[in-house]
Amino acid sequence: MAFKQHSVLPGFKLSLGYTLLYLSLIVLLPLAALIIKTSNLDWSAFWTIVTEPRVVASYKVTFGTSLLAALINLVFGLLIAWVLVRYPFPGKRLVDALVDLPFALPTAVAGIALATIYAPNGWIGQWFEPLGLKIAFTPLGIVLALTFITLPFVVRTVQPVLQDLEKELEEAAASLGATRGQVFYKIILPTILPALLTGFAMAFARAIGEYGSVIFIAGNMPYVSEITPLMIISKLEQYDYLGATAIACVMLAVSFALLLVINGLQWWTAKRLGRRK
Amino acid sequence: MSIAINGISKHFGNFVALDNLQLDIASGELLALLGPSGCGKTTLLRIIAGLETPDQGQILFHGEDATDTHVRERQVGFVFQHYALFRHMTVFENVAFGLRVRPKKTRPSETEIKRKVHELLSLVQLDWLADRYPAQLSGGQRQRIALARALAVEPKVLLLDEPFGALDTKVRKELRRWLRRLHDEMHITSVFVTHDQEEALEVADRVVVMNKGKIEQIGTPEQVYDAPATPFVYQFLGDVNLFHSRVHDGWAEVGAARFAAEAGDSDKAVVYVRPHEIELSRVATEKAIAGVISHSRLLGATVRLEVDVKDAEVVEVELTRERYQEGGWQVGEAVWLNPREARVYPAA
Repeated sequence: MAFKQHSVLPGFKLSLGYTLLYLSLIVLLPLAALIIKTSNLDWSAFWTIVTEPRVVASYKVTFGTSLLAALINLVFGLLIAWVLVRYPFPGKRLVDALVDLPFALPTAVAGIALATIYAPNGWIGQWFEPLGLKIAFTPLGIVLALTFITLPFVVRTVQPVLQDLEKELEEAAASLGATRGQVFYKIILPTILPALLTGFAMAFARAIGEYGSVIFIAGNMPYVSEITPLMIISKLEQYDYLGATAIACVMLAVSFALLLVINGLQWWTAKRLGRRK
Repeated sequence: MSIAINGISKHFGNFVALDNLQLDIASGELLALLGPSGCGKTTLLRIIAGLETPDQGQILFHGEDATDTHVRERQVGFVFQHYALFRHMTVFENVAFGLRVRPKKTRPSETEIKRKVHELLSLVQLDWLADRYPAQLSGGQRQRIALARALAVEPKVLLLDEPFGALDTKVRKELRRWLRRLHDEMHITSVFVTHDQEEALEVADRVVVMNKGKIEQIGTPEQVYDAPATPFVYQFLGDVNLFHSRVHDGWAEVGAARFAAEAGDSDKAVVYVRPHEIELSRVATEKAIAGVISHSRLLGATVRLEVDVKDAEVVEVELTRERYQEGGWQVGEAVWLNPREARVYPAA
């Protein structure tokens, strides 16, 4: 092939073929099936299903809580990554391992545990109850569950970049008279911004699709705390396959658009960093 | 601005990086800190800059104690070996950084910043690169930008940590000449760290030779080269041959040759001779050392011969190419060595 570059490792054609086949089977085929199935609906029927008020309310809940959870992790994930990279302290490796726990824990377990703790009679929930603040069975609970589930993303994407950040850059900035705040905002933040955005995008995308942990703590009240994946499940339970795929298509389109925007942002920051040729 | 270093010590765990150091740097001079890696020269430079704090001792800037002054307020320009340019900023913004981070009251206007930055970029002869990013520049260009950036804040002292260490030989030679010229124009007190003796001798007004956290000698390039205070300095400033010998009646004897020695009778002594200060001869003379040429190696304009000598390691002799051809020296030939110059130090 003309675009093949010389390499010491053989197997370009085989590995490329495998990659394309694999991606087609695992990713493209199911997505294509989804779209083909949806195309059985005519446009007005599709539109009626996806703009049903209860469904629209679920979009707001899903995207709103996911955005909030991703934003919370953007800040605190950066903080955790910073502490893990910059400061030696006893038990550091344990804390480092703890960050991955939300990945490893079955999401249903996480959901039940969180619901138990934050319920009005739970360990933590009982202290908020007198303040008139309900956490479990409200959108607040959904944000909490999503924050828990998506915690590792920002930490794990930012950590290696922070690790590689040359200390000399900060020293150079300080010797030129920059204050600590200026060093952070003008030197460190621009350097880790692409990684931060990547972590944010991954956390956001993961939160949108999250189902297992959320349904236990959400309370699933129509118009208030129903998430879109739950709408799909309830349509399926009523054997309304077309309705389920229609909503799924909307989620697919929105998720895809969001990823596109965030990729664009990354491309833009990478260009500003002068890493592109 | 003059700098005084009073009894500075620094430890890293059990490792003694600097041991009770005493050094005065005159205003406007260009000083080289020369030594092998791990001798503490970079640590000393970082302490002067305020990037590292000493365990003991004092640093005076122009007579005033600056030991606890933050690097931000020391008004030093620091140039790093690996440039440390801000990758997300253009060359212009890199140089302007020190002006832009000033508090509002003392920050120059945008037009003033522009004028100043272009003036500095012209000074380092890279004005045409203002809009590029550091990743698009060569190593030599990056280091000149780093220098312009350090000069932008009008530092009282310029500190350079192995500034040419990451560059190839040719660019390196060019840049050090250029640095010397720049210093002659600006007369800013400058200290640079290097492990390259040629660089130190060529560029600096004075050279500080360091070893194992201590200063071995301070002097002009001529002084340290012609009158090395210790065997370490002698060895570090060029190639040497060494002969172990014993002193008799004030003379250290190597084979038939003898050299004046200050050490007491029958003390051990080490005789150092530089390879280019040895004469070769086919005729045995009274004070010559006998040997056999075992290798010859052509090094551009010079030729290096290895001569096997009894009771010593291999002796290196350096000749100019013409002398080598005139002599018609062959490998395997028996020769006599006549050291023109030698230094005798008591053996440790």
